[in-house]
Amino acid sequence: MKPEDLLVRPRPTAKCTAGCPVLDRCLGGGVPCRSVTEVVGESGCGKTQLCLQLLLSAQLPPSRGGLSASSLYLHSEFPFPLRRLRQLARARPLGPRHDPLDHIFVHPLHSAHHLLDVLPKLESFVENFKSRFPVRLVVIDSIAALFRSEFDNNPLDLKRRSSMFFKIAGKLKWLAEKFDLAVVVTNQVVDLVVPNEGINGLRIGNLGCLDSSGRRVCAALGLSWANCVNSRLFLSKDKEIVSTVNDMRDGCGCEPMHFGTRRRLHLLFAPHIPDTSCEYVITREGVSGVCR
Amino acid sequence: MEVGRLPISAALKGKLVSAGYTSLSLLSSLSPSHLARDLNISENEALDILKHAPHDGRIDTSGGHHIISGAQTAWDMLHEEELLTRITTSSVDIDNILGGGISCREVTEIGGVPGIGKTQLGIQLAVNVQLPVHCGGLGGKAIYIDTEGSFMVERVLQIAEACWDDMLANNAISQNVHAGQVGMQPKDFLENILYFRVCSYTEQIALINYLDKFISEHRDVKIVVVDSITFHFRQDFEDMALRTRLLSGMALKLMKLAKKFCLAVVLLNQVTTKYAEGSFQLTLALGDSWSHACTNRIILYWNGNERYAYIDKSPSLRSASAPYAVTARGIRNNVSNCKRIKLM
Repeated sequence: MKPEDLLVRPRPTAKCTAGCPVLDRCLGGGVPCRSVTEVVGESGCGKTQLCLQLLLSAQLPPSRGGLSASSLYLHSEFPFPLRRLRQLARARPLGPRHDPLDHIFVHPLHSAHHLLDVLPKLESFVENFKSRFPVRLVVIDSIAALFRSEFDNNPLDLKRRSSMFFKIAGKLKWLAEKFDLAVVVTNQVVDLVVPNEGINGLRIGNLGCLDSSGRRVCAALGLSWANCVNSRLFLSKDKEIVSTVNDMRDGCGCEPMHFGTRRRLHLLFAPHIPDTSCEYVITREGVSGVCR
Repeated sequence: MEVGRLPISAALKGKLVSAGYTSLSLLSSLSPSHLARDLNISENEALDILKHAPHDGRIDTSGGHHIISGAQTAWDMLHEEELLTRITTSSVDIDNILGGGISCREVTEIGGVPGIGKTQLGIQLAVNVQLPVHCGGLGGKAIYIDTEGSFMVERVLQIAEACWDDMLANNAISQNVHAGQVGMQPKDFLENILYFRVCSYTEQIALINYLDKFISEHRDVKIVVVDSITFHFRQDFEDMALRTRLLSGMALKLMKLAKKFCLAVVLLNQVTTKYAEGSFQLTLALGDSWSHACTNRIILYWNGNERYAYIDKSPSLRSASAPYAVTARGIRNNVSNCKRIKLM
């Protein structure tokens, strides 16, 4: 490596469509390559759904917003949602005689150290994988689960954990840069205990506070990990009262309450997109944004 | 050379030695009148002696003293500083607390939480340095060292176009004059940013060592932005003393670059928590010893829903904070109602 080689001509970033034009508008075109994008949300908000959808849309040709690429899905939560992936693949066909499952590679992760061991294998896999659909998308679902068991809540362990974040993020970004990959990482949320917020109450990004399911939350893994990602999306869900269309009343004259789920995607920070948000729904066909 | 070897009379030699001038290098920065007074001899005799003294080819008759080569008087330095222009940040409020903008010959560190606008400010400065002097720039090029992958070409073009539109709107350069003069288009702004992508701490150190040679060959570079200086150093170093040595070596090189080539060095840093006085406080990363590496330190923070910049450390500026906004056009003044500059 010579320092002169580090001088590169900056090139425009390719983006992978999220599979829906409303979501893409929110994301500035899609998930960018050569960058680590984090999706944060509580369980059940749709992080995995969005990731599965990305695995499929990455295989679209660039004319349709994709990367004509295979994907790598590293999962730390078991089992791998194969049935749902198949359902999405049927709903979003990519062409005759094109089985999208041929272009998705899955690998389990058990811990943070395991991830560090897997990354060099990942590198040689991506490098040597010769196909019409080179690997251009790597999804890690979820990063938070990897750190749950090994580290206790004392300052020494937290410091060790923090160093791990930077090591992992450094390697991921290096891979992203070398192979022009889009890296998507999912993260969980933890409850924010008010009023004693402490450092978790620190504002990071465009939203002063994050709310989901009526609770105040913040992204897991703390401030250090927030420094490791390039962009962060927050998915929230809330119960909302959906009034009935017909004016049905029961015996005592009260309208029955129907509860629906309102889901919102919010951009917390990104180097290239302003503060945006949009509503979305999860259907059999996948995740789609809603213009309201 | 020894005074004893000079082709002068023994009496004069004796006077020189007893006055303390034992070697010729001590004579090299003296004026004849001063030497004459010191030795109690005539000015002509002093001139004779000084003819043999090694100096930069001239006797400084103005009385200026250059005791150590490379040193300057404070007066000269003041004159030089007044000539130095600063680089605008495109936010008048931030420029005001900075005394006009980011100054050359200094290392400025800018730190803040993720999403506060550090990269945006870095890109804005890399674009603004290219503006002509009367628009707040230095008419030079920028070196952008990206260690995190936050530099997005589309965003740079967006900021450059907005900059370009502002220049035209302010009639700073009329369209006709401009076409002939500089011929700058928004995409030219991108051409003038020399972009380095660094993926490990070894690459970062090698690059900073290489910058001296690189800038000697690219003399029109007027700003070096490192985004961020911290990222690769927050991994586990088995030997923390090594990390401290590497960091201080890097800091020293950057300071030398700033002074030698008269350019601005802007380092973007992250924040971390420090346990002090029984609670956790926010502080810039890389530790206490790193805080000596920069001349000026600016912290970007959230105050409610607004972004503020605060001068945390500066030898010449007073502590003050100013609001700013990150817009589609780049860094700009915050135009909300409660805008005011708070002096601490």
